[in-house]
Amino acid sequence: MLETTNLKKTFKKDIAVNDVNLYLDKGESVGLLGPNGAGKSTTISMISSLIKPTAGDVTWQGKSIVKDPSVIRLQLGVVPQEIALYKELTANENLKFFGRIYGLKGNLLNERIAHVLDIVGLTERKDELVKNYSGGMQRRINIAVALLHEPEIIIMDEPTVGIDPQSRNYILEMVQKLNRENGMTVLYTSHYMEEVERLCDRIYIMDHGKVIASGTKQELTGILSNEETIVLELDRQYPQLLLQLANIENVLRIIETEKGVKLIAPKKSRLLGKVFQMAEQHHAQIVSVNVQVPTLEDVFLHLTGRKLRD
Amino acid sequence: MKSILLLQLQRLRREPGLVIWMFVMTIGFVLLLGGFGMGKTTVPVYFGETLSGSEQENLINRLNESDTYAFEITDEDTAIKKVALGEIPHAIKAMKSDYQIVIAADNPDQLLLDQYVKQIYAHELRLQAVEASADSSNVRAEIERNLDESPITLTNITAEEANRTSGYDQKNHYLFGMTLFFSIYTIIFSLGKVAEEKRTGTWNRVILSPVRKWQVYIGHLCYAFMIGFVQILAVFLCFKYVFDFYIGDDFGAIILTTACYTFAIVALGMLMLGLVKSMEQLNALVPIVSVSMAMIGGAYWPIEAVTNSVILAISKLLPITYAMDALKEVVMYNQGIVAIAESLSILLVIGVLCMGVGINLMERKA
Repeated sequence: MLETTNLKKTFKKDIAVNDVNLYLDKGESVGLLGPNGAGKSTTISMISSLIKPTAGDVTWQGKSIVKDPSVIRLQLGVVPQEIALYKELTANENLKFFGRIYGLKGNLLNERIAHVLDIVGLTERKDELVKNYSGGMQRRINIAVALLHEPEIIIMDEPTVGIDPQSRNYILEMVQKLNRENGMTVLYTSHYMEEVERLCDRIYIMDHGKVIASGTKQELTGILSNEETIVLELDRQYPQLLLQLANIENVLRIIETEKGVKLIAPKKSRLLGKVFQMAEQHHAQIVSVNVQVPTLEDVFLHLTGRKLRD
Repeated sequence: MKSILLLQLQRLRREPGLVIWMFVMTIGFVLLLGGFGMGKTTVPVYFGETLSGSEQENLINRLNESDTYAFEITDEDTAIKKVALGEIPHAIKAMKSDYQIVIAADNPDQLLLDQYVKQIYAHELRLQAVEASADSSNVRAEIERNLDESPITLTNITAEEANRTSGYDQKNHYLFGMTLFFSIYTIIFSLGKVAEEKRTGTWNRVILSPVRKWQVYIGHLCYAFMIGFVQILAVFLCFKYVFDFYIGDDFGAIILTTACYTFAIVALGMLMLGLVKSMEQLNALVPIVSVSMAMIGGAYWPIEAVTNSVILAISKLLPITYAMDALKEVVMYNQGIVAIAESLSILLVIGVLCMGVGINLMERKA
């Protein structure tokens, strides 16, 4: 349905996106993960025909959108990271304007507006100025605008940034419903691993402008199938202990967490004895110890060496 | 394009502050600088040589025939002290057959004052010469009566059918200058919505719709043009009908000049938008450009008062110079469209050049 081939974008000497190949099938929900500066937004901009790639191509149902952007524009809905609305106007006025530029008018426009307001749950407050809305409500109208012309594919660029947990949950449920019940194809980028885990059938992980891994959640966590994660919670941080733990044989990676440390090591490494011994030497009080199978976050960390929100 | 234009008008309806403020500022500044409601400009006069009481009275009465100035007799020390302290811009040292203007620093008004006083002195000296050579003692009264009830009226009709020539008028100068000056703010800040939309992301959202990019640009340009054009004409009409200013009989030429000037400023705005990276930079650049342009282009004072050849050369590059020139030609010297065709053509050329470069720069940044 949508495919990118060797997609590349350079800004002067900087390579923002380098040979990105990805595809989306009809009705799929695909996640694009990556830390800041990984090239996600540039990739999305090229896929949505907003900027032209330096090299490579993007095709929609076999037709190049680089050559003719109009082949995708009526079928595409984009939810940008920022609140791209006229805040001095009401939600209804915003929707009317964006509906009109998509060629909707009269009763059809009114029906579509009523429908999307119902989806985002803001029918009762449609005549209020957007600037008076809460952050979560503004995000919901931001999504409603993208749904107005009933696109086949929707691209969402971090649509839950900076909102309260209730609004975030509402948006996630909404996206899930659009994908699973309405069959809408979704390309979703986020900083929140749990959102991508919850919503997406397949995931692409990007770093430094490249796709470094892709697959289903199971396939990705399978990358670390021979490893285990030891999560050690301490009463406070012990920097010297951290250094010493990093030097233990078999420790593949060590990550400082908010209240302790996370160690990735091969399965059956029998590290716990050494860990307790070192904690004792540093008079560190262990609050809890948890040995778990690696999560998507661990995979991300393993591949990029960075946390998702770094 | 229509949707974009209507959207901008809807946004203006919600937040009309800028346009209203610029309209009010224009009216306020024209009234303030034009001296409206404050009566005449007072000019102190002291006598540099002994004149009899009747001679002093006669001279002051003649000088006070002006609609613009009120001449008041004062003593030399007071007049010089006030000028030195900057309380008044100038004073007159009157002598029997000559005068001097006392100033602390050059100012454009002194030329107008000089012109007026020179005219009164020349007239008086001619009368005195006639009186001295005539036998009759009441020759002055006879001349005055004949001038008031002249047996022949001479009317000059030029190719431009000038049937009412008002000549240079300071109030009109301020009206045109301030109106054109404040309209720069309205036009460029209205156009600044493009920069704001690029920042908020709505620009990209519109670009991703089936609307073509040139239609989006035209929508914004039409809006900025319309706002500027309506503001300028509204100020002119307001001063014509509310404050009784004479703005000529050829309103068509005024409309045409306004349209060409607004187009040039819209284009200049596009150029500035192409040069800046953010709305904050634009906010800083607009006052610098508009004030310099108004100063050099003759919006604050007559360009004729400027003698520096470099400044005069720079003024030839500025749209406001040509718009002021065209408006003064039409209103003060009753010239028609043919006489202002060159100024209007230059405004259009400036507009086309700035627009081309501006859109190019903006697209490169995109």
